[in-house]
Amino acid sequence: MKVLAFGSEAVIYEKEGIIIKRRIKKGYRIKEIDERLRKTRSKAEFNVMRFLYENSLNVPKPLKYIEDKKEIWMEKIDGKRLAESFSLEDAKEVGIMAAEMHNLGVIHGDLTTANMIKAGKRIYLIDFGLSYHSSKDEDIAIDIFLFKNALKSKHNDVYKEAYSAFLGAYKSKIRKEFKGIDTHLKDIEERRRYNESY
Amino acid sequence: MYTLGIESTAHTFGVGISDDERIIANERDTLKPASGGIIPREAAMHHFKFAPEILKRALDKSGLKLRDIDLFAFSQGPGIIPALKVGAQLSVFLSKKYGKKLVGVNHCIAHLEIARLYTGLTDPVMLYVSGGNTQIITYYNRTYIVFGETQDIGVGNLIDKIGRRLNMPFPAGPKIEELAKKSNHYIEMPYSIKGMDVSFSGIETFVSKLIGREKTEDISFSLQETIFSMLIEASERAMSYCLKNSLVITGGVAANKRLNEMGEKMCSERKAKFKPIPMEFAGDNGAMIAYTGYLMKDYKQEDLGIKPKFRTDKVEIKYR
Repeated sequence: MKVLAFGSEAVIYEKEGIIIKRRIKKGYRIKEIDERLRKTRSKAEFNVMRFLYENSLNVPKPLKYIEDKKEIWMEKIDGKRLAESFSLEDAKEVGIMAAEMHNLGVIHGDLTTANMIKAGKRIYLIDFGLSYHSSKDEDIAIDIFLFKNALKSKHNDVYKEAYSAFLGAYKSKIRKEFKGIDTHLKDIEERRRYNESY
Repeated sequence: MYTLGIESTAHTFGVGISDDERIIANERDTLKPASGGIIPREAAMHHFKFAPEILKRALDKSGLKLRDIDLFAFSQGPGIIPALKVGAQLSVFLSKKYGKKLVGVNHCIAHLEIARLYTGLTDPVMLYVSGGNTQIITYYNRTYIVFGETQDIGVGNLIDKIGRRLNMPFPAGPKIEELAKKSNHYIEMPYSIKGMDVSFSGIETFVSKLIGREKTEDISFSLQETIFSMLIEASERAMSYCLKNSLVITGGVAANKRLNEMGEKMCSERKAKFKPIPMEFAGDNGAMIAYTGYLMKDYKQEDLGIKPKFRTDKVEIKYR
């Protein structure tokens, strides 16, 4: 087994073309919280991946979930993290994918370019640990807000163009009325502290 | 170069003096409301009342006279309008009277700069936790970016709100911490982390319903464990995401030993550095304003008014 990456909450291994994501124990939190988070997130992640995969969204094919080890086994995607090779064209692709995911009633919960893999022309979504099922405008808005914020902090040089490309593609694919989502989007930004509105 | 800094964003009025990068005085007084939270007008009255005394104490401590000061700095925001005005008016007056330059400082950035100074960590992720503020900030591309923050109330505010319902004095943090030590019975609570943001209002509602039904010790313990786990998890995500290998915790809530212990443990597990900052410089203080003002001494600033909603990422950092 080869260690591919140490994330903030999981270690990613590779074994004969299979990716194993193991959620590791965190010594800073008490056992009750640690067990509950690792278990619920791993399980939710596996179920969401399976659901999206069956509905032909670009996600790695989930193979199995081993509860006592908090492990998810999945097919390997040969590519690079989008965070490392992000360009304007990718923003559009992400917009389409995010809309398709939301059309299926799934909220990612941590939509950033670090949680996407670019393989050739295709972009794959990964890291569904904070995902859940919802079609509420408010929850959808949080996903969009998180992606916007990630662009701003990680890809600041192309942030404005990238966000507008993302949003344009998103709006063209989302089946819900965007107005309702937009209202919540503005509300979230308002709720965050100290927006210089005056 | 002597810089005198004035802090008055919330309930603390502070005056600090620095000699280049060395802090030589740091005096303050904090308004402690008998009940409830901060009333803006009362904070301003408090600052007016204590300003002369605190200013004199800082000067005495440093052995300087006002005419020896080379640069005046004040906290421009974010903060409560009437409180901010006191510091702004006083520093404008002093800079005019003595004919010295005036610098406006972002309060959150000042917290980060003094943390860097006292921990020796040059490029940390900073978890800034106080009554009104809960932010995870780090340096990126000539600005301090807010990577994560609360989507509703500040963590200190949450603790105080619950403390008030439990009839604890303000601030409630020390009492909650003391009671938490007497329990290890965890009551499951909502754990709300959204990307790198956190949200506390759901916990507030949930905990309110436990009062009277569960032991105060157990509530305190479970509350601390839940909210601190969220904050440390979000901090770790920020560190991992922007490839930073050190953490500092600052703001009033940084006085909590359990929070520091968790920060230290998280860092040691990922082989990152963690250093606590002296409490004198973790709570709101004038020294951090003086020091940051000194760093900004060569800046040209057009707007020297107060900025109640001053965002951290609006300041271009030219001195780093």
